[in-house]
Amino acid sequence: MATNPMHQFNVYRIGPEVKIAGIDISFTNSSLFMLLSAGAICIFLLLGTREKKLIPGKIQLVAEMFYNFIAKMISDTAGSKAKPYFPFIFSLFMFVLFCNMIGMFPYSFTVTSHIIVTLIMAMFIFVAVTIIGFIKHGFKYLKIFVPSGVPALLLPLITVIEIISYLSRPVSLSVRLFANMMAGHTMLKVFGGFVISLGLLGGWLPLSFSVALTGLEILVAFLQAYVFAILTCIYLNDALNLHH
Amino acid sequence: MGNFDDFKTRLKIAKSNLKKIDDDSSKEASFLGSAFKLGTELVAAVAVGTIIGFILDSWLGTTPWLIVIFFFVGAAAGMLNVIRTAKRMQK
Repeated sequence: MATNPMHQFNVYRIGPEVKIAGIDISFTNSSLFMLLSAGAICIFLLLGTREKKLIPGKIQLVAEMFYNFIAKMISDTAGSKAKPYFPFIFSLFMFVLFCNMIGMFPYSFTVTSHIIVTLIMAMFIFVAVTIIGFIKHGFKYLKIFVPSGVPALLLPLITVIEIISYLSRPVSLSVRLFANMMAGHTMLKVFGGFVISLGLLGGWLPLSFSVALTGLEILVAFLQAYVFAILTCIYLNDALNLHH
Repeated sequence: MGNFDDFKTRLKIAKSNLKKIDDDSSKEASFLGSAFKLGTELVAAVAVGTIIGFILDSWLGTTPWLIVIFFFVGAAAGMLNVIRTAKRMQK
């Protein structure tokens, strides 16, 4: 029996082992839950947009709420220039949200609780934003490392600080999501373990904690998806509207 | 058959109420989001600075000087990140 609170993060192979050029690309439980969340998003949005009624049904209403939420967030943080990137940010938000939410089901696996997954997403955003910045502004994009109105003597130091600040973006983006998800799920499991070990007499206190934490975790699951998406918008804003 | 004007005014009131709720909830979400953001901003920059210092040190053979310098530069970058995030929150 798995009493180890970290056991839930194990990645194991499902089906045969597949290796291409020495790299293990077998289908794992992580891949399964990524597919599940992608499938759930597709089904949810297809159902939501199947009947386009003026007065929406329940699923259509929720789907439209998500659409409005993200559209508003993009126009608020990155302006009208960011409109073409709506599909990307919407998919990103939905994917992270569904991965987090599906991870809340007992016995499921939380894809976003692994730093490799979040880091790859963050690195992709980081590289894409940098490329977009260079395409839109050419070498003028390098100006974001050189703030205006700084004395010449301090300029080298400030530039190094700015570069480190820029490089820290993917790290903070990925670590935040991964750490929040992993810490929350570990905590749930630890309190769950207390319920069993304290038994019928003392188990009620950790049980009530568990219930409260589950609510908190659902909030965190949503918030982290939101933060991930809004930070992508902010970085995109820096790349699209150059001002410092 | 209901009065059409009556329906119109009711729709207007409902819409304005909806807008109010919408604004409030999105504001609250963004505050909570910023609160979650601040902590990692600081730590990430320190980590990145230290890693850069470590790599440069082992590359140039200047252990331990660059790692010390870049640790502090990273801390400065982290504070810069936090200040920027806080400024954005106040807007």
